[in-house]
Amino acid sequence: MIVIVWQLVIALFRPHVSLLPPPVLAASEFWTLFASGELFVHTGISLARVFSAWMITGAIAIPLGLAMGWSHRFEQIVDPFVEIFRPISPLAWIPLAILWFGIGEAGKVFVVCVATFFPTLLSTIAGVKRIDPVLVHAGQVLGCTDQPSLLRKVIFPAALPSIVVGLRISFGTGWAAIIAAELVAARSGLGYLIANGMEILRADKVLVGMAMIGILGVCFDAFFRFLNRRFAWGEA
Amino acid sequence: MTGSSKPLSVRGITKTYQSKTGAPVRALQPINLEIAAGEFLVIVGPSGCGKSTLLNILAGFGEPSGGEARVGDARITGPDIDRGMVFQSYALFPWLSVVGNVEFGLERKRVPRRERREIAMEYLRMVGLQDFAERGINELSGGMKQRVAIARAFAPQPSIILMDEPFGALDALTRRFLQGQLLRIWQQHKKTVVFVTHSVPEAITLADRIAVMTARPGRIRKMTAVDLSHPREATSDRFRDSERELYAELDEELARSFAVEAGDLIA
Repeated sequence: MIVIVWQLVIALFRPHVSLLPPPVLAASEFWTLFASGELFVHTGISLARVFSAWMITGAIAIPLGLAMGWSHRFEQIVDPFVEIFRPISPLAWIPLAILWFGIGEAGKVFVVCVATFFPTLLSTIAGVKRIDPVLVHAGQVLGCTDQPSLLRKVIFPAALPSIVVGLRISFGTGWAAIIAAELVAARSGLGYLIANGMEILRADKVLVGMAMIGILGVCFDAFFRFLNRRFAWGEA
Repeated sequence: MTGSSKPLSVRGITKTYQSKTGAPVRALQPINLEIAAGEFLVIVGPSGCGKSTLLNILAGFGEPSGGEARVGDARITGPDIDRGMVFQSYALFPWLSVVGNVEFGLERKRVPRRERREIAMEYLRMVGLQDFAERGINELSGGMKQRVAIARAFAPQPSIILMDEPFGALDALTRRFLQGQLLRIWQQHKKTVVFVTHSVPEAITLADRIAVMTARPGRIRKMTAVDLSHPREATSDRFRDSERELYAELDEELARSFAVEAGDLIA
């Protein structure tokens, strides 16, 4: 369907090949990059950045979210800071990231951290707040009488379905943010592939990069949906 | 394998809430109860009389505004694994299997893994669910869930078991069946049980003694011993007589509780 429209647009408007190449040419460029392994290198680099940032975020945002959802007082203290930073697009952090970290790995990981932080945090908080208080009581009379054991044995598993949703959403936002960060400042990654394609007037390279982003986005979403079903005990 | 059971004494417990408008609401007037070790006490009363409030205080979920409750010599200051609880809404952990739920308290008591499994299976056998050990919680019917919850509450061998309208959400037949099962387990383990209900037949079927609570603010209106031998036949004359007596007491309280509510609405 997309290919037909694409072909039609070319037939009607006859754009220069550097602006919109025919599908066949884009496909052959896809194959070239695929066969040479270049596509994998860029994809792998982008993925590695997103994954590392995503894990750093998880390690910070999940415990923080558990604490904020659990302790009303703690939430009141931390929430104003969260609310101030939340409306700022992760992309707005790119200039600062470049100033602070240069165009090395740290800057891009930082931008993705910002992008993945809030979805993870907010889902975790919501997950904790949605827990039926009777489950907490059940945990207490079964021996979780101190806060750490209660958090570990009851609160965390009870909130897990919601946390997994947050991780899925944040992976999506992180994936979008890494491309933006690489467009601005990188020498590798899918975003770089796209930016470079633009600079050397090779729309086919740009399209290959975009296709790869879309395909991987769909794949990861499917994977997380599977995980969601696996941890769907909150729904029933 | 039978653990100890302990007496429970409630001395002058009161509870006063702060309502939304800021006015204090008295939920419990001074309550005094002496429950012997191994006794099955049922508390009945009109809804909103504070029976659940009392049970929550005994569980350690809330502080009383006055008075104290003791298990043996120890004052209740918070929840403890020595006081198990069965909730009306089952409160099973959906992320654990059936047997995982029953093992939960045993794990907290640091019972070694293999022994834990054996004990849990034994309690599941008692409620007839040994073949469902590996199932997920959401695959079970309401009656089965409550049987798992009963096994889970008894498995860590608490001295006291608190039951908050545990069969309230179940159909009449399932309810009758579970009452029988509960009685068998209780007779075998002789735990001290405090059981809250508003079903009169249920109270007479289960109780050694029945405490009738008044309308809010709740206090104990009357204590009656049920001198019928188990199993109690709901169609026997003596059962019927006890029912009649208990209904008479409750009807009077119900009339008062409606008067209280009407008063609230006018105010």
